[in-house]
This record gives sequence, C-alpha cells and structure tokens, in this order.
Amino acid sequence: MTTAAEGARLQLPALMQRVALTQESLIRAALAVAAALVCTAVLIALSGKDPVIAYLALFSGAFGSIDRVAFALNKATPYLLAGIGIALCFRAKIINIGGEGQIAIGGLGATWAALALPVAHPTAAIALALAAAMAGGALWAGVATIIHLSRRVHEVLVTLLLNFIALLIIGEALHGSLGEVGAGFPQSPLLPATAWLPKLWPRTPLHIGFAIAVVAAVGAYVLLWRTTFGFAIRVAGASRPAALYAGLSVPSITITVMLLAGALAGLAGGVEVLGVHYRLIEGFSYGFGFNAVAIALLGALQPLALIPAALFLGFLEAGALAMQRQVGVPSSLVAVIEGLTMLFILAAMASAERKPQ
Amino acid sequence: MSQSEPFLEMRDIVKWFDDVRANAGISLDVGRGQIVGLLGENGSGKSTLMKILFGMIPPDGGGIIFKGRELCEHTPGDAIAAGIGMIHQHFMLVDAMTVAENVMLGWRAAGRWLRRGAVGHALRETSARYGLDLDPDAEVGRLPLGRRQRVEILKAILRGADLFVLDEPTSNLSPPEVSALLEVMRRLRTEGKSIIFISHKLHEVLEICDDIVVLRDGKAVGRMPAAAATKAELARLMVGRDVSEPFQRAERPPGPAMLALANIRLPAGEGSVGLHDINLSVASGEVLALAGVDGNGQAELAETIAGMRRPSGGRILIDGVDATRCGVAERVAAGLAYIPADRSQMSLVQAMTVAENLVLRDVRSPPYAHRGWLNRAAQISRAGGLIREFDIRAPGTGAAAQKLSGGNQQKIVVAREVGRAPRVLVALQATWGLDPVATRFVLDRVLELRAYGAAVLYISSELEEVLAIGDRIGVLFAGRLAGVLPRAEATAARIGLLMAGGAEPSPGMAA
Repeated sequence: MTTAAEGARLQLPALMQRVALTQESLIRAALAVAAALVCTAVLIALSGKDPVIAYLALFSGAFGSIDRVAFALNKATPYLLAGIGIALCFRAKIINIGGEGQIAIGGLGATWAALALPVAHPTAAIALALAAAMAGGALWAGVATIIHLSRRVHEVLVTLLLNFIALLIIGEALHGSLGEVGAGFPQSPLLPATAWLPKLWPRTPLHIGFAIAVVAAVGAYVLLWRTTFGFAIRVAGASRPAALYAGLSVPSITITVMLLAGALAGLAGGVEVLGVHYRLIEGFSYGFGFNAVAIALLGALQPLALIPAALFLGFLEAGALAMQRQVGVPSSLVAVIEGLTMLFILAAMASAERKPQ
Repeated sequence: MSQSEPFLEMRDIVKWFDDVRANAGISLDVGRGQIVGLLGENGSGKSTLMKILFGMIPPDGGGIIFKGRELCEHTPGDAIAAGIGMIHQHFMLVDAMTVAENVMLGWRAAGRWLRRGAVGHALRETSARYGLDLDPDAEVGRLPLGRRQRVEILKAILRGADLFVLDEPTSNLSPPEVSALLEVMRRLRTEGKSIIFISHKLHEVLEICDDIVVLRDGKAVGRMPAAAATKAELARLMVGRDVSEPFQRAERPPGPAMLALANIRLPAGEGSVGLHDINLSVASGEVLALAGVDGNGQAELAETIAGMRRPSGGRILIDGVDATRCGVAERVAAGLAYIPADRSQMSLVQAMTVAENLVLRDVRSPPYAHRGWLNRAAQISRAGGLIREFDIRAPGTGAAAQKLSGGNQQKIVVAREVGRAPRVLVALQATWGLDPVATRFVLDRVLELRAYGAAVLYISSELEEVLAIGDRIGVLFAGRLAGVLPRAEATAARIGLLMAGGAEPSPGMAA
C-alpha cells in the first residue's frame, strides 16, 4: 500500500526524522549520559564522597522499589503536562517561558476551588478543581498574550516577568486569606479529601496525573498532525510570511496556542497540589516551568517524544534526591547533575542535527 | 586569450550526494584573462562544481590545479588566499556598515586597527581603476543592488583575486545595471583577471564570454567559443532536445474585466516606495504584464491584490465583486491565485513536505479538511495528481520541499496556484532563478491559463519576458503605474525608457 506508506511519511517531518530512534542517535544519547556521569563523578569525588556509592544510591533511589518508581512518575507528571504546551508554543515560534508562573497560578486556582467551593461528590470536586487550575494557567498566559500582542512587547520578556508576579501572588495569598492559621509556614490548610486525586496504582504514591499527562501528549500529537489548527501552528512556526500568504492569522494562532499552553501548565500545577501535597505550599512548583522548557527541547518539540524526556528527568531527579538523603551529597550538586546531563544530551542532539550538512 | 597555458584546471571532478551523482567527471579549463560562461539547467551540477572549486565541499574524485599549484582539501579561506573570489547570488554584506567597513570586515591586510582613511584611499583608487564608481563612506544598505554587487567585486579584487566566480550575478539587476556589470567584467579581463560567469540568460553569456561550457546531468556536454555559438544550439545542449519552438499564443478578444484596481494607495515607509493611485483592469483571457526594476512597488502591488497588505485607499474588484475588505483566504476562494517571488520564506514552507506545500493555501477547505480535521488521503491523492500533471521531480509526496531543486520548487507553487483553475492569477517574478526550460514551463502554464479565460497580472523585471507574454504592457516606477501600451506598440526601447523613470506621454495611462 503506497498510500499508507506515504501517509506515514507525511506525518514524519524533517525534525522528527532527524531525531528518530536510530542506532546512531541512541549511541549519542548513551554517550551523553555517560559523559555527564563521568563529569559529575569528579565533582562528587571533590565533595569528599565516593562516586560509585553515590551512583548506586541514585540508581536504587530511582528504580529501587515500586514506591520509588511511583515517586519518579509523579515527579515527571507536571514537567510533561507543562512541557507539552511549551512545545506547541515553540512549534509556532512563540517563545513562552512563562510556564513557571502559569503552573503556580494553576496550583492557586485548584486550591481556591477545592477550599471555597465544597462539592460532596469526589469526581465533581476533582473536575471542578482541575478546571479552576486550567482556567488559572490560561488566565496567566492570556495576560501575557494581551500585553505581547497589544503593546508589542517581546513574549520572552512578558512571560518571564509575569513569572515573578505569579510567585509573589502565591506568597501573598498564603500569607493572607488562603494561609493556614498557626502553621508557621506559608501553606494553605489541608484540602478536603474529596478533591484529592485518586491513585493510579493502589497503596503507592502514584496518582492519576501521569495518565492525564500521557493522554495530553497523545492529544497534542493528534492536534499537531491531524488537524488544520496543527497545520497552522507548523506553518506559522516555519515562516511568518508563509503564514500570511496561506491566509493564516498569526495573532489568533498566538492567542489559541498560548491559552492552550497556559491551561496545560495550570493543570500541571493543579495535579501537583491535588495529587502530591493536598495543599498549596509556597515554592511547591519551584523550577517546574524551566524543567518543562528543558524537556520540550529534549523531546525535540515532538509531543510523544516528550514522554520519555519527562520520564528521564523524573527518574533522574528522584534518584538524585535519594542520593542526597543517603550519601549526603550536597543538594546543590544534585542540581548540577541534572543540569549537566541535560546540557550533554541537548549538545548531542544539536550536533546530530547539524551533521547532515 | 590563448588556451595554451590553463590558469585553472579542474580535472574529472566527481561528487555524490547520497545516491545522486551531482558531478560525473567534469573537466573545466579557464585561461588567464578569459571569461568562461557556465551554462546548465538547475541541478546540472554548476553550483556543486563551484562549491568544490571554492573549497566549500570536498570532491569525491578529481583534482584542481590553480596557477600551477594543486588545490586539495582546501577551505574557502585557502581559496581566497590562493586568489579565487566568489561573488554569491545573495550578497554577504552588512547593510548597516559603510562600503569601507564591509571591505575591512575579516580582511587581515586591513590590520588590527580600523584605519578608515587608508582603506578608503586604497578603495577609491581601485574603484576608479576598474570603473566601479563606489564611495567608501556610503552605507551599504542604502545602495542599489547593482552597487552592492560591486562592493563584493571590490572586496575580491582587494583580497588579491585573479579568478572571479560570478554566480547568477544579473538575476537581481535592472538592464542598465546589467550593462554596467558587463563593462566591469570587461575591465577585469583587460587587467588580466579570469572570470567564470554563471547565468541562465543566454544573450548575456553570448555577449560577454570568450568560451562557453554547457553542463547537463553532471557532465560537460560541450565547449565552444561564444563567437561560434547560437542561442538555439546552447539551449539544445542544455536540455538535450530542441526547446526553441515559439510560444503557442493565440490572439483572442479580451472578455469582461476580472480584476480591477481603482485608486489603490499604500503609504511609503520601511524601505517601501508605497503605491500611488494605481488604476488598472485585466480582462478575462488577457495578460497584463508589468515591467519595472525591483523595488518600485512590485511586491507591494502583488501583496495588496492578494490580500496580504491593507491599502490605505482605493478599491479592488475580483470578477466585479468588491474584495477590498476580504482576507487572503476569501480571495483564494473568490478565484484569486498568487505566485510570490520568494520561495525560501513565502510561497513554500521549506521544512514541510511536498504534499503539504501543494495544499498550503487550500488545506482548510474540503476535501482536504473536514470540521478542522485533516484528510491526509485527499491531500496525498491531490499531491500525486499535481506531481504527475506538472511533472514535479520529487522523491515522493513526503519529501521536504527544501530537498528539491529551485525549478521543481517553483513547479510546486505553480501547480498549487494554477492547478486550482483560478479566475485571476497574479504572478511576481515567477521565473526568478529558473533555467530556460523551467522558465518556459512557467510561461506556458500562464498562457494556458489565459487560454482558459483567466485574467493574468504578470509582474517581472525581465523585460524580454514581459514583452513576450503581455497582451498589454505597463511599467511600475516609484510606486506608480507608468503608462500601459498595447502589445503592438510596446518596444523594448520604450518600455526600457519607462523602467528607468523616463516620462512617456502615453495615451494609455488609464489601463
């Protein structure tokens, strides 16, 4: 069937073909990880710890038990959700780095809905809280879009600066009306149990957020390759003059894709609050937005490739935290390990892309 | 111009790109003080051969001897040091800098300090010697294209080039600029410099070259002195068959007006001359061809008609219906097709597939989409049909557009716009960068459309083409429509004068 074969090729754009799972690209990824581990081993040794023991702790911390795997999957969930929206924005050449703030406002929305609108039915309560989370994230992305389109301020600047405001708003809420009286720490009261996300795997920490994120990734894939809106995103991202010529409105694409990304980031924040902490805590999503950008790039803006990218980061982070607890490697070094690994992999991907010339 | 002692000797150059053989053992000799024309269709191997000469890509076989020394595994830097100057089709200049600063850029001999005075002096001297007429203190961005090209030539001269490679240097120039360039080339030859001249325009090659080499399918299929060559013979060598049969151009009475512009105005600014009270009308079965040097409002006019720019005044009627307020998609639906000049950014999405590009402007309407869902089977069957009908050479419907040669890329654009059977076609520089065969293909499709009763507005800076294809011929100058002449009255001399801004007391002002 030539048509089926050509159909399969049609959905494989140049970018995906370049990062497809060939033997060469797998070797490249393995080398990048190995190089990062070697570099970090030197740093661990310099901090006076044994790198071999540290890495064993890292590995067992990531994969050592079902609970630990569940913990890593929970870690990966908000990165994946927010990363999908960022990948869609980047596809359209809209550099949205406001995930950090959109996630935080999403968490605030979920908390407010769960506390202020008591619903007895658990499914309804969860749906309501997640909807509020998505609305919050979309609202925050919408504010950025309005400023960007109406005042012609670059989207990087607007989304970045709104991150700081969002975090301050969370702090303000937790020190004020939404804070738990007498907690001694800026956090909200415990949410009613009806709004807690159910477990995906009973008696482990794994909540249904991960499943929601995978469904979102598949949905984004379908959107990008099977719908006219996805076509418009890809044309606008490839060339603005071509979009104009094709009769597409770049402002309306910008608005739609930004609201979508904001909603997904908000959902990430809501899932974190309702599935992990069961309350809003100051700094609960610290760094999530930037990790989401990292996995969007790591997955080469391919929604489905974002799943392994998010898993990689989730397991790495879970393992690194275990390493910190068990071996006493300083926490700053954990951030260094994560950063170095990402850097090496992105460098390997970039060199693979440049090679065909 | 003796051939006895070759200045440049390229021997049996072979180059493979994956499983495509771009150069199949090409030999090329250039003597000192000789101008050699290099002809060939798009994809015949000219660019590959020149990139190998300049050290941009390594050959898979063969050797290069330049001035008695072998050039092997060389870089562009080595090529420049050896005395090879490459003038690319797209200029490598910094617009915001002056001529002198551009010349100093990356030039070791200019020293570590910016000695504008000394460099300016050297520059004036060389400029006068070669008749380049360049002011060292002029900002490059403000110079016309012909002058910018001379900055590139000046850069190469000052870097000690003895051999100049000019890659399609005339495709962006107006007729007077072309004559000036040919004059500069003659001066270079008098000074003992050698030139490899790549062009699709046979009359230029015949006028300026000493020898002409024709490439086809990666092989040199002929070399002859220009004095002994004819256009027909060269064209036949390039394609391997006879292509010189005249246009099939039936005279036909024009029908009702399909496209009408009334007092269209567009403000000037941002490097644009704007449009000033453009009035024109094109009838069914008629080609209105507009000549003019680039930058006189051609793109502005075409994009305003296509709905990509909002005029500040005036009206546009498509088939009698006011379309002034319609967007791009509505105009496509109303039967307006548009072939823009820029394939790299506008008319094609280079990274997307051939099939996607073939439905770029139709993808949101049935049968290619239904309620927002793409129908890929419909896309692919449409693409397959157009690929056959328009003879597009592509590895498949799923190949990225950027993998295709310039001629085949333009075939995609023509197939999409003409294949929709439009009632009005606007074409802007539709044959830019195309070889004679591909040019002919585009012109034939346009005339076919005319025979079906479409109205065609054909905008080009190629005077020859405009005269060949237009039923009526006008000129755009400084954003104004300068006189529209019936075909019988439009001579190259009259139109050429209008293109240069000369006044023409014309009875046909209201087109």
